[in-house]
Amino acid sequence: VPKTDNQSDLEGPHRNAGPWLCSICSQQNDTSCMSCEVCGVLRDLSLYFNNTNEPEGGAKRRNKHSGVSVLARSLFTPSSPKSKAIVFSDGFRGNKNATGHMQASLGTLHKTFMTHKQRHNIVPFKFDIPSPDDMVSIGLKSSRHLRKADTSVPCVDIPGKMVMGDDDLVAEKDTSTDPSSSVKLDELGGNSSSVAANTRNETLILDNELQHLSLERKPKNSKAKIKKPVPVSQYKPEPWMLQGEDQEMPRQLNLAIVGHVDSGKSTLCGRLLHALGRISKKQMHKNEKEAKEKGKGSFAYAWAMDESADERARGITMNVGVAYFDTKNYQVVMLDSPGHKDFVPNMISGVTQADAAVLVVDASLGSFESGMGVNGVGQTKEHSQLIRSFGVENLIVAVNKMDSVEYSAERFNYVKSQLGIFLRSCGYKESAITWVPLSAMENENLVTAASDTRLSSWFHGTCLLEAIDSSAAPHRDVSKPLRLPICDVISSHVLGQVAVCGKVVCGAIRSDSKVLVMPSGELATVKIIERDSSRLSSARAGDNIAIGLQGIDPIHVMSGGVLCHPDYPVSVASSLELKILVLDITVPILPGLQFELHAHHAKVSASLVRIVSLLDQKTGKASARKPRMLTARQAAVVEVRLEREVCVEEFGTLKALGRAFLRSQGSTVAVGVVTRVVQRELELQ
Amino acid sequence: MKLVGKSLARDGPGSVKLLPEVDDDLWDAYNLIAAGDSVEAVTVRKITRSGGRDSERVKLTLEVAVESTDYDKDGSVLRVRGKNLSKNEHVQIGQYHTLEIELRRPFLLRKEAWDWPALDTIRKSCDETAANADLAVLLMQEGLAHLFLVGRSVTATRARVEVPIPRKHGSGAVAAYDTALKDFFQRVLAAFVHHVDFGLVQCVVIASPGFTKDQFRDYMLLEATRRGELRAITEHKARFVLAPAPSGYPHSLKDVLAAPSVMSLIKDTRAAQEVPALQEFYAMIAKDSARACYGPKHVEVAHERLAIQTLLLTDTWFRNPDVAARRKCVDLAESVKKVGGNVRVFSSMHVSGNQLEQLTGIAAVLRFPMPDLDDIEM
Repeated sequence: VPKTDNQSDLEGPHRNAGPWLCSICSQQNDTSCMSCEVCGVLRDLSLYFNNTNEPEGGAKRRNKHSGVSVLARSLFTPSSPKSKAIVFSDGFRGNKNATGHMQASLGTLHKTFMTHKQRHNIVPFKFDIPSPDDMVSIGLKSSRHLRKADTSVPCVDIPGKMVMGDDDLVAEKDTSTDPSSSVKLDELGGNSSSVAANTRNETLILDNELQHLSLERKPKNSKAKIKKPVPVSQYKPEPWMLQGEDQEMPRQLNLAIVGHVDSGKSTLCGRLLHALGRISKKQMHKNEKEAKEKGKGSFAYAWAMDESADERARGITMNVGVAYFDTKNYQVVMLDSPGHKDFVPNMISGVTQADAAVLVVDASLGSFESGMGVNGVGQTKEHSQLIRSFGVENLIVAVNKMDSVEYSAERFNYVKSQLGIFLRSCGYKESAITWVPLSAMENENLVTAASDTRLSSWFHGTCLLEAIDSSAAPHRDVSKPLRLPICDVISSHVLGQVAVCGKVVCGAIRSDSKVLVMPSGELATVKIIERDSSRLSSARAGDNIAIGLQGIDPIHVMSGGVLCHPDYPVSVASSLELKILVLDITVPILPGLQFELHAHHAKVSASLVRIVSLLDQKTGKASARKPRMLTARQAAVVEVRLEREVCVEEFGTLKALGRAFLRSQGSTVAVGVVTRVVQRELELQ
Repeated sequence: MKLVGKSLARDGPGSVKLLPEVDDDLWDAYNLIAAGDSVEAVTVRKITRSGGRDSERVKLTLEVAVESTDYDKDGSVLRVRGKNLSKNEHVQIGQYHTLEIELRRPFLLRKEAWDWPALDTIRKSCDETAANADLAVLLMQEGLAHLFLVGRSVTATRARVEVPIPRKHGSGAVAAYDTALKDFFQRVLAAFVHHVDFGLVQCVVIASPGFTKDQFRDYMLLEATRRGELRAITEHKARFVLAPAPSGYPHSLKDVLAAPSVMSLIKDTRAAQEVPALQEFYAMIAKDSARACYGPKHVEVAHERLAIQTLLLTDTWFRNPDVAARRKCVDLAESVKKVGGNVRVFSSMHVSGNQLEQLTGIAAVLRFPMPDLDDIEM
């Protein structure tokens, strides 16, 4: 028996319809039987055709009750040559070679659908139509529920009205016995009952589906379960998403710790966690002892973050570390990034969703200069450029290792002036930069104001923790459909076989809701939502969470993918138009350049197809002539081709998914935004 | 390749008999055989008899007028399709047949005109002294690995391994990272053992950014001592070389090959000459952008003024099915040579040739700056 991943199909309205009649041998079967006891025919043939029908998404799926009966009829009527084609194409589903054939047969399927619509005398399976009692109860249920939803969102006026309209429709249909309308009813009923069962959302989707019922008849053979996207503008947040928005709940802040290698990022993180009581005494003692044994006593705090044997042996961070602590205003998710040049890709994919950032600078003589890049680009520069292009506007500059320069005010001011010029050139506003001199090793000016007189004598600003606490609140967009870029795919005892980590970019998510995993286009159910190992019932835009998924094969879940609202899939593309700003590079960019493209957590190899136009730095106007090449600090519109499909959005639609970073030969050559997503060819066929 | 027989005139008609010996020779043969030529070789054809009921595989020698050729670099197969020319009891003249050019089986190639690139290809391919450095490159980054075999004129991708590696989450969760990394190494090692035969491969380069290469080498040597079937790895320990790489993506291979430690291993091969040539072009465009150009239009303009010092082009141009276009390209290269310029033909199956191909496939380093190139529409 083919398994279905769509539970609601089984829990359709005919669940409680009593004994059912087998369509083939007329055997009366018990309700609990999934297939006929005599001939073994499945009770609900939709199970067979899940795969073909699913591609059309929600509307189509609900359509299947009507469609399946046609299919079934044709299946068991040997006289129809069309039906054979259908069976065949079904059997060979997924075989790419048979695509052409499949298309043809799907066309015939389509015809079958259409003819059915016009012929009223064909009575579908009995179990396809809910009994009159069912209709009434469903109608009541849905209307009751919808009213409730309606009253709970008095602020959203228009959808409320729409819903009311639907409601009337339901009532009207209730009285009618026309088979074609009962199909629709069935769909509505199925929908609203599932709404009652788990996610009492869909009020608006219901509306959308009504429109789509008539529009989306034609089956498509494109990627499974992705239907024609509904314009995002039609999306209205559901009531539960808006609830608790105004509550006085500590908000999450995703804080990136960046800077040049050996500037003390991990030590700073370790110190912060220790001072805030996030590291147990025992653990700290262990780290200290082990670090001393290895002759690296000064790394004891860094080891709180760098746990892998290799990182400890080499004394550098190689992968992004995640840690949590709370301040007065925020629940902080700290992302400790690697500073080494070779690990910038890890830094990009791990830190791209940061709301705020701490740039750690080594104040000691020579180290600051190497971070700024005496020869080549230093990571102080590269990181601050990247962080700016991640969309972070407010920057805290932690001038670390002040102890090594005797807490000299001159050195601090020198660093401030040198770095300040560069930061302004990156586009940071003067007022958005907070400068904090500190020493992580000596625990000066971290969580409390400086105690060393050499520092407190001249510095009267905030300590690091206060600076973090007073960061501007990140903007959270719950009014858009759900988007959650997958940062990591993990499996654990608590979260189950398939779990993903990431930040909700927009919209909201809660347990038991369905999500679409892109780019594979598979549906999954959210089982568990966790933040820092504590269970949550829902999460909204801005929250960094781990989600346990159910009903999906791990191979469909890849880091770099996006979880999204089933009805509003994210766009997927293998060809993009980007507006880029070229960074300080020595070798000019020519067409044909092969590079790595980073977009949110996705990494993909790509090549530059052509330079469309050069943009004027000041006016932003496109030049008339096509340039031969791009050199440092130029802005241009380019077309790139990706080796693999990635989920991106146009920058204008959703900023977080519309940013791109171009890296070549081990350095970041350009940063940019997606101006146009070239739709994948598959759908054009 | 072995040259078995030859009767031809330069720029005139003639034929050669060639014997391909290694995989690279098939690529050379692919470059030699163009639409319009004719190829004769021993082949097997299924013949149906007595009204289509019985069929039999018959070994024949057929000559076909080439219409198209097809080369698969990863499988090393060359197929030549065309109409039959030889009279024969099984196959009628004019019937289509596809010849498969195989290793260690001679074939006869007839051309109407033997131009210099074709002769050059034969000369290079039959040069016994040229090193046939079979180099395996394992290009890695955390979670992504590619295994390449770099031959004389073809770089074949033998394996690709991709495993998601999660970030470190909180304290104690480093286990997930370690498990994922170990799983990744395990898969890479399996691919490596499957594809690398130390009888053929002279040297193995492990390249990656960061420390992945060291980690993998340590893992591999440890596994080799632990598992008896991997003894070959321990025995050939000295053949492993570590090199830095900017990333684990295929296009980083050219940076790996350009590293001095690797360059010395491949110094006599075609790849070794191509990599610096392309680097020279990029260095020139960085230094003085007016002294380098690319694209057929610009190169042609530059040649009209006799400005070309080094002409870089991919062998794709010589395979152009359009005879007139091919002729034009051959003439261009010829006349650049005549006026004292260098011509470098890149194998589009190598990573640097591939890069050049992305850049329209033709480029030139100029003798003197031509700033007005910017004004000429490409």
